[in-house]
Amino acid sequence: MRASIPTLAFLASVTLAARFMLHVPTTQLVNPSTLPSTTHATLQSSGAPLDAHITRSNSFNFYNVSAGSYLATVHCRDFAFEPLRIDVTVEETVEGSGQKKEMIRAWQTFIGNEWDNKGETRGEGGNGLVIEVKPIGQKYYYQERSGFSPLSFLKNPMILMALFSMVLIFGMPYLMENMDPETRAEFEEMQKKGALGSGGTNTAAQIQNFDLASWMAGKTESKSRGQSPAPQQSKKRG
Amino acid sequence: MRLHAVAALAACLATASGVFQDDAGHIDFHYALLGYPKQDATFFQKPYAASKASLLYTVSENRTIGAVNPKDGTVVWRQAPSPGARGGGLLRSGEEQDTIISALGDRITAWSASDGRIVWETRVDGAIAEDLEILEQEDGITNNDAKDAIVLLADGSQTVRRLDGKTGRAKWTFADTSGDTPFQVSTSPTTVYYISLHSPLLGGGSKLRVTSLSPITGKKIDSYTLNSDSEIQSKANILFAGANTAAPLLAWTDKANKVIKVSIIGTKGVSSFNTPSNEAVEKIVLHAPNKANSLAHFLVEYQTATGHSAEVYHVDLKRSSVSKAYSLPQLKGKGTFTTSTSDANVYFTRVTAEEVTVVSSVSHGILGRWPVKGSSALVGSYPVHGVSEVVVKGDSASAVRSAILFSNGQWALIRNGEVAWSRPEFLSGAVSAVWAELPEEEALAHELEVEGHQNVISAYIHRVKRHLRDLEHLPAWLQSLPNRVLGNLLGTSKDTTIEEIQHDTFGFHKLVILATDKGRLVALDVGSQGKIVWSIDMHQFALDATFQQPSLKAYRGYVEMKDPGFTGSLFVNSTTGGLLKAQELKTQLPVPLEGQTLVSFDLVDGELKGFVGIEPSSEAVWTFTPPSGEHILSYTTRPAKDPVASIGKVLGDRRVLYKYLNPNLVLVTAVSESARRASIYLLDSASGQLLHTVSHYGVDISRPIPSTMSENWFSYSLALDATSSAASRGYLLVAAELFESPLPDDRGPLGASSNSSTVHPAGVKGDIAKPYVLSQSYQIPEEISHMTVTQTRQGITSRELLVTLPDSNSIVGIPRQVIDPRRPIGRDPTSQEQSEGLVKYAPMILFDPKWHLNHKYEVMGIKEVITSESGLESTSLVFAYGLDIFGTRVAPSFAFDILGKGFNKVQMLITVAALFVGVLFVAPLVRRKQINSLWTMP
Repeated sequence: MRASIPTLAFLASVTLAARFMLHVPTTQLVNPSTLPSTTHATLQSSGAPLDAHITRSNSFNFYNVSAGSYLATVHCRDFAFEPLRIDVTVEETVEGSGQKKEMIRAWQTFIGNEWDNKGETRGEGGNGLVIEVKPIGQKYYYQERSGFSPLSFLKNPMILMALFSMVLIFGMPYLMENMDPETRAEFEEMQKKGALGSGGTNTAAQIQNFDLASWMAGKTESKSRGQSPAPQQSKKRG
Repeated sequence: MRLHAVAALAACLATASGVFQDDAGHIDFHYALLGYPKQDATFFQKPYAASKASLLYTVSENRTIGAVNPKDGTVVWRQAPSPGARGGGLLRSGEEQDTIISALGDRITAWSASDGRIVWETRVDGAIAEDLEILEQEDGITNNDAKDAIVLLADGSQTVRRLDGKTGRAKWTFADTSGDTPFQVSTSPTTVYYISLHSPLLGGGSKLRVTSLSPITGKKIDSYTLNSDSEIQSKANILFAGANTAAPLLAWTDKANKVIKVSIIGTKGVSSFNTPSNEAVEKIVLHAPNKANSLAHFLVEYQTATGHSAEVYHVDLKRSSVSKAYSLPQLKGKGTFTTSTSDANVYFTRVTAEEVTVVSSVSHGILGRWPVKGSSALVGSYPVHGVSEVVVKGDSASAVRSAILFSNGQWALIRNGEVAWSRPEFLSGAVSAVWAELPEEEALAHELEVEGHQNVISAYIHRVKRHLRDLEHLPAWLQSLPNRVLGNLLGTSKDTTIEEIQHDTFGFHKLVILATDKGRLVALDVGSQGKIVWSIDMHQFALDATFQQPSLKAYRGYVEMKDPGFTGSLFVNSTTGGLLKAQELKTQLPVPLEGQTLVSFDLVDGELKGFVGIEPSSEAVWTFTPPSGEHILSYTTRPAKDPVASIGKVLGDRRVLYKYLNPNLVLVTAVSESARRASIYLLDSASGQLLHTVSHYGVDISRPIPSTMSENWFSYSLALDATSSAASRGYLLVAAELFESPLPDDRGPLGASSNSSTVHPAGVKGDIAKPYVLSQSYQIPEEISHMTVTQTRQGITSRELLVTLPDSNSIVGIPRQVIDPRRPIGRDPTSQEQSEGLVKYAPMILFDPKWHLNHKYEVMGIKEVITSESGLESTSLVFAYGLDIFGTRVAPSFAFDILGKGFNKVQMLITVAALFVGVLFVAPLVRRKQINSLWTMP
């Protein structure tokens, strides 16, 4: 009987408080000493969440956490942290002994999944457990403005088409001139046949005779362009 | 699977618009506020012993702790109070310490002075910290390690504790069981004094009881009662209980402020002095240095109705006597005194609205005098209290800087007479805000209306006259043109005036009028970095009123302010801040047209009741009572101005789903504590009929349930409760959309009828004219405290749901298509759905950092967010208030009708010039070719 009184007192103190600590380790991603002082962690279960601000030693201390299952979230301006599920239970140290102590277990959890869907364990132990919370990534708030760059300008399909046709327009006459006379005559023969055969090559001929300068000057299509093949013919006759 | 969902989400995020880095700080503004600083908890202090510069620390009246850079007034760090904290705030710091210690309610916290992180924290459940002191010396030896704190706790357990400076653990506890009212603790190098108010059983005044404690063990050494001759009725009569001076003092006064009595703590002797008798003294303030090794001199400030004066007293420690040394002359107007120390010397700085003077505590010779150069922010105000730092070289003060709280709520730093910065702390604690409608806009609208109602000829003459009148602005406009063009090209901005707000092309310059809990009315220009246009104290219009919860309502050209502590309402001109008389105003209450009846509704005794007419009358047309066990938390309606661009939603196959557009929708949230249930009721406010209802179980009803409604959709958020063993945990966001019919190209039962009744919306053709409701819910990582919707001029731009996240101090704009309840579930969207912009449903919404409107700013304590249309269809103006003030503009569908900063005007001009040069070169070529072609004619 006498022995049971201290046990009861012990029990009373046990059921009140579990304490543990969330700690931000130094990783390649983040030096936790640079986190802003508004960084804080919340434990949500029922009612107002428990709140702990970041300490000098880059951790969040929770005292007097009663038994239950908690969603732990770290709120930080600069980094996103993984959410954790933290269960606080009161268990018998040795079964049947009547001695009880609190157990704290932590797992990864996933937003948008069942609560029982736990991920990797993040720690397990009694009072004073240190649970590591890892940042997942940096938060980038700003949208990149798509500034002007010559490369992106060239990637535009319209510009590519224009460039291709420019090459054709300016390159073709040179090609023609560099041909030896026989092939040239043959080519012209083919062209003439083609011109007779279908109207399609006529437009091709028009493209060949395309006059960039007059087009840029806004000159409307007039007779003179239609007449441009004529001199060649007259030369032949002559 | 999970990854897949994230990928799907990421795909839909790509369309979201973020804040551009070069826009940040230009289109938005943020006042990071602290609130009114408390006099006894504001001080200059070096953040660590070796630091060269000191910071200005304060805890404000709303219990925000902050460190301000005295150079420019920016916040170095701050910590907002945890909700539900009780009691006032205390802030102390030891000399050469790298921590500052605060006591807020039951929390005693040591903060790292340079960055605001927690060093240690102690909580005493149920208690309130009454006083806090730092133990500077122990047995006469200065302890250079972490100095211990002495804290006095009241309410619950009345104890004095010594807390270890490194860990915060209690070294000893002294419990007071005498039933006295605890007042303060004070320390001397050898003793800790605990001062309490002892009320004798037989009535009469309280007596001051001083208990001395051993600093090492906390054991009671001695206790004595001061004979205070029933002068002290309450704590308010006690002027000062000296902290950390070599000779800690206790000073009190009688009710009429005729006599002040001073006792050196530790001795029973009381010296009494008469106050200046030529004029009634309204207030007495005692200023004493709080450094341990400074001279035992102090200053008593007397404030009268017309001026202020002061007397300086010296304490002789050997003889334990107090004597008057000299007095400072009375000056007209209000002013304040501050104390500063340099080594052992004590200096008093007198700050008035006109000048700053420094005197030494030893003699009355003025060491330095600086006239204060007026600042527009401080016009018409006087100093209330402050702190100073003085640099003395030889026998003259070479520099002084004082952080002074002015009566208009500006906290300013005056450096050698110049106002270095001022912080508009009066903006904190805003409780109501409205967008002001400017009267000038109405003038044009009115003229156009006149033209519309006249016959063609007179309307034409009227218009010509109006245009001729407008011509007088032409020369000024032409003059300003070159400057404007240059400013536009170089991207420089200029100050705005009220005229520019009226002649604002894009409609970005809108005035917000906000009311603070202190009864101050302020107008801000949201378009130009939240510039304060005017600020008035409403107490000058209602002298005897105490404002508690002012609420505002905007009308054309004026705002109406109402307050429960004040009967009637005050009308204030929106552009000038002048008071208007109610008779001068044209009443603009909505007058029902002929044949129409206006039905208004209100929450009366836990029931929602509809009335005929504008004012709630006794007879209700309809009553909505929630089921037994439930009570109504709140209700929301569609915004008063909620334009809808399209009555239907075009599907991928060109068919149309018709929106259920009812202007009278009311969304009611009700909760049941016992069942842990939250119910959402959708009502028609004209008829009071119930259109839709949904209940959620396992809801944590102690948390806020924010909701909003716009167009044909509504949204709300809930916290899930752990105790009901729900399958999921955390917070839910629910979005629902109303359609006339589940079938495309079908208008439901109303389709064929040309008339429908708003009074019996569900009564038409049976009971089927209720909306078809689609809803989806998502898990969100954080709690939402408030939500609202963006507004644009015509409602063509897609809307954004603006949610306030108190945990991460941010405001997030969720694009509408992310919370579209038609997102396909469990399958990939078909090509038609893809063309609608629908993505596969994922059970969660993670807040993309690019959705944060506040980006790097941390907006604390936001109560409400209000939105308004701008002059451009693409853009909506957003204003958030509470502790902080934040304003920005958002373009949910991108800024399609305005050139952004990315558009390089100079580059465009260069391109045009290059083309022109090209044409100049090519033109002779063309001419030659044309001539050549003419000459080569056959």
